[in-house]
Amino acid sequence: MKLSAIRPIALLLARELAITALLILGVSFVVFIIIYLSPGDPFGTLLKGQTTLPNAPENIRGALGTPPAWYAQYLSWLVNMVQGDFGTSTRTGLPVLNEVIRVGINTLYLTIGSMMVTLLIAVPVALFAARRGQTPVNWVLTMLAYVLSALPVFWLGYIAIYISMHHFGLFPLAFASSAQKWSWLYFMFPVLVLGLSNGTTSEVVRFLREEMSRVFSEDYIRTARAKGASIWKHSFKEGFLIPITEIIASKIPFILGGAVVVEQVFNWPGMGRMAWQAAQDRDFPLIMGITLLAAVFVRMGSLLQRFVHILVNPRASKE
Amino acid sequence: MKRYSQYTIEVGDLWDVSFWKKADTMDLIYIVYGLFIVILVVVSYVLGALSLLPHNPQEINLELLMAPPNTAGHLLGTDFMGRDILSRLIIGIQAYFLPGLLAIAIALTAGTIFGVLAGYWGGGLDTTTTYISNLLNSFPRLVLILLMVAAFKPDIYTIMLVVGVTNIPAVASLIRSKILFLKQKNFIEAAMALGLKSWVIIFKHILWHNCRAILIIQATLGMAEAILMETSLSYLGFGVQEPTPSWGNMVQAGANYFMQGNFWPSTAPALAILFTILGFHLLGDGLNNILEGKRG
Repeated sequence: MKLSAIRPIALLLARELAITALLILGVSFVVFIIIYLSPGDPFGTLLKGQTTLPNAPENIRGALGTPPAWYAQYLSWLVNMVQGDFGTSTRTGLPVLNEVIRVGINTLYLTIGSMMVTLLIAVPVALFAARRGQTPVNWVLTMLAYVLSALPVFWLGYIAIYISMHHFGLFPLAFASSAQKWSWLYFMFPVLVLGLSNGTTSEVVRFLREEMSRVFSEDYIRTARAKGASIWKHSFKEGFLIPITEIIASKIPFILGGAVVVEQVFNWPGMGRMAWQAAQDRDFPLIMGITLLAAVFVRMGSLLQRFVHILVNPRASKE
Repeated sequence: MKRYSQYTIEVGDLWDVSFWKKADTMDLIYIVYGLFIVILVVVSYVLGALSLLPHNPQEINLELLMAPPNTAGHLLGTDFMGRDILSRLIIGIQAYFLPGLLAIAIALTAGTIFGVLAGYWGGGLDTTTTYISNLLNSFPRLVLILLMVAAFKPDIYTIMLVVGVTNIPAVASLIRSKILFLKQKNFIEAAMALGLKSWVIIFKHILWHNCRAILIIQATLGMAEAILMETSLSYLGFGVQEPTPSWGNMVQAGANYFMQGNFWPSTAPALAILFTILGFHLLGDGLNNILEGKRG
């Protein structure tokens, strides 16, 4: 490939990167504003139970100086974050960035694993429906996808725990440590539960089915079929790769949200559980760090989807 | 403007009989089931609001713990404290019904405004709206709600505000693409050529005649979302607090008994969540299949 052919694609990719950076900046601003507008006085929390002097808060405030304007606060927070300083958790006193990355990896396993489970269910159903049209089998499968999407994930979690306790003698609430013999099994339960009932299955099936049947009815597929070429090969990029990356990217937020609940049910030491704890403690630095990291995670998914889209079909992604 | 309606045949309307006649049987079944659930929820809400319940939902009966369904006048049995499950399920609707309507109202109103701005006028407004949508879509909803809960108080209306606001992009993008589609149609062009005011075209010819199906579909899907969020947050302990029942905290409260093999106190509210969310999803998707013709 000549360099001149790569250049426009590189420009498009650079543009996507810039947009992602801008959006992450916007995300940080939204997070800041929410915390900035929150009622309550950090000094009050800090001094609670430490002193009985009535004028202590005012004196400390005077000693520390009046807080700078909101934009100065935002900028200094932002500069600190860019340098990797997300502050320290007000409950544990540990640096937020390390904590969030430590648990974020666990959530990443859970999210990616359950996405795989969802796709393993949804893709065959969608393919079958797109190829065969409306048949009774297809209808039953679609209905099943609907029921799965409406299942409350915590209740399915209870069922999974009950079955594993009473039938396999396993207790999946203990987080998988590699020392144990069946550790991968402990790992599987939350992933399966979140994958089955994260509430996106029916939408994934619907979206993939529509996209695939649209592509299957295109002229170039008819031509391919007429000359005896493989339909799958011709429809792979437009009918499979693009829709699947698109739906994965758009469903990451939902799966992360479901992860909050599943981590609670299974005592999984992930970001969602930490967010839950932080929300209970009103641990602002921690919950801000988690929200930011989750949003960055979502944006990375979208960025990846845009990259695939651009590389597969540079012309269509120019607008 | 009756004579222009012939140009809108691709787009179904709620009262357009021809669409209902050629509708898929399955979609009709979806809609009938969905409507049944909606009516059930609304009737139960009204019954709960008027306190017309079979039993007092807070009444503890230690002689009748975890009774199976249909014992001693308790149609759905009793929970681990002998409280009537049916009454608690009915009262539990109070936890999400009005807040859910609020979330829908926010999403539909703001979504329509942004959609019209982006679709009808386009240009810079379109780009701005896209960026705002992407920004809102970056947050996992539950994590954003936890942030709001930490910042403000864990109040169901705060939570539903977030649900409503995060649903704006979906509504806006649907309205936007609908308007882009409609703008190519002759009847809108004719309306513009006739010199009708923008707001007449937007409100009457676009929103009222051509977007109400979308808005109704989004309202049902939004309610499903609101129920899911409310139950998840009550389950996590941030929504309605015990002893006030909500479907989410009922599942959570029954958890210990579930592990001992007494499934019913947790399962009854879980099934209520399942059938209700399923009903709203099926109603929305069934209407979508028939009126918007999404099926390939």
